[in-house]
Amino acid sequence: MSATLPDVTENLPAEVIALLNSEDGAAFEQALDSMVRQREQHLFRALGLLARDLHGAMRRLGGELTFEGVPDSMADARKHLVEVLDMSAKAAHRSLDFADRMRPEAAALSLNAAEVLDFTNSKTDPAAILAHQALAFAEKCSEGLDDMVMAQSWQDLSGQRIKKVVGFIESVETSLLELVRLTGSLASGDKPVTAAKVSSQDDADRLLSEFGF
Amino acid sequence: MKILVVDDFSTMRRIVRNLLVELGFSNPLIQEADDGDNALALLRASAFDMVVTDWNMPNMTGIELLRAIRAEPKWKGLPVLMVTAENNREQIIAAAQAGVNGYIVKPFTAITLREKLEKIFERLAASGASA
Repeated sequence: MSATLPDVTENLPAEVIALLNSEDGAAFEQALDSMVRQREQHLFRALGLLARDLHGAMRRLGGELTFEGVPDSMADARKHLVEVLDMSAKAAHRSLDFADRMRPEAAALSLNAAEVLDFTNSKTDPAAILAHQALAFAEKCSEGLDDMVMAQSWQDLSGQRIKKVVGFIESVETSLLELVRLTGSLASGDKPVTAAKVSSQDDADRLLSEFGF
Repeated sequence: MKILVVDDFSTMRRIVRNLLVELGFSNPLIQEADDGDNALALLRASAFDMVVTDWNMPNMTGIELLRAIRAEPKWKGLPVLMVTAENNREQIIAAAQAGVNGYIVKPFTAITLREKLEKIFERLAASGASA
């Protein structure tokens, strides 16, 4: 029977062949476990190093931006984006303040021009010509202010996108640290530590080094 | 007419308020909330004639607010106008199914707002007359 089967053992490592020939069941189990475990540890270590590299790359990216006097960590990046959000809201409010101030001015100019035209509407009277021009200008101003106010609603639209990016950065950081934590605990053979919230860069670095990454 | 404007961005609340005032609604009768939760609290505290709400907000979104409003028998007829950047098909359908009265995609002008409001009140008057 065995003669008809191809010899599958010839390409196997010596320790596997030795195992297959072993008659001690317990030793066989133990050796097999140890081999699988060794292989798993390689995988987890590789994953951990990968996560560490990725985290390092992100930090370096932050470090490069530091030359501009800005973020050196993902937490800082989030903070700066929130600041952008606040600044753009303030700028939009200032534009809206300006529109609120100018609208009555345009309305008053329009009213005054109409009063002048009640008094004189001759095509040759310079006062009437100027009043007509003032009326047209006041109308253009109101339209322009309406357009400007509408343009400020882009602040809300851009702000929503910034908020999404802030959320994304947060989730990437959390996932990355979770990966490091998991691979670290698996590689070292310990039970995974409880998922503590990592809030600062120092916490993150401490955690990474705890697992030897 | 008492109107509740719900948006997490103060800029947008201000713009919507200004547009409503421009269309002739009374400024002091307009109130603001920055999310669905706070909007519900204001709705419970006093009677409103209309709600103008954003979709994307923290804590309670506009669609959740709309569903909460429709779940309450006394607010069944309260007009809700959705003002949002979300203009994909699924979301518009979800809003329609949840019982929204009007849907405006940002950014929009006073003219668009007036048209949508007129449509809402026409439909309400028609359903009121046939009821």
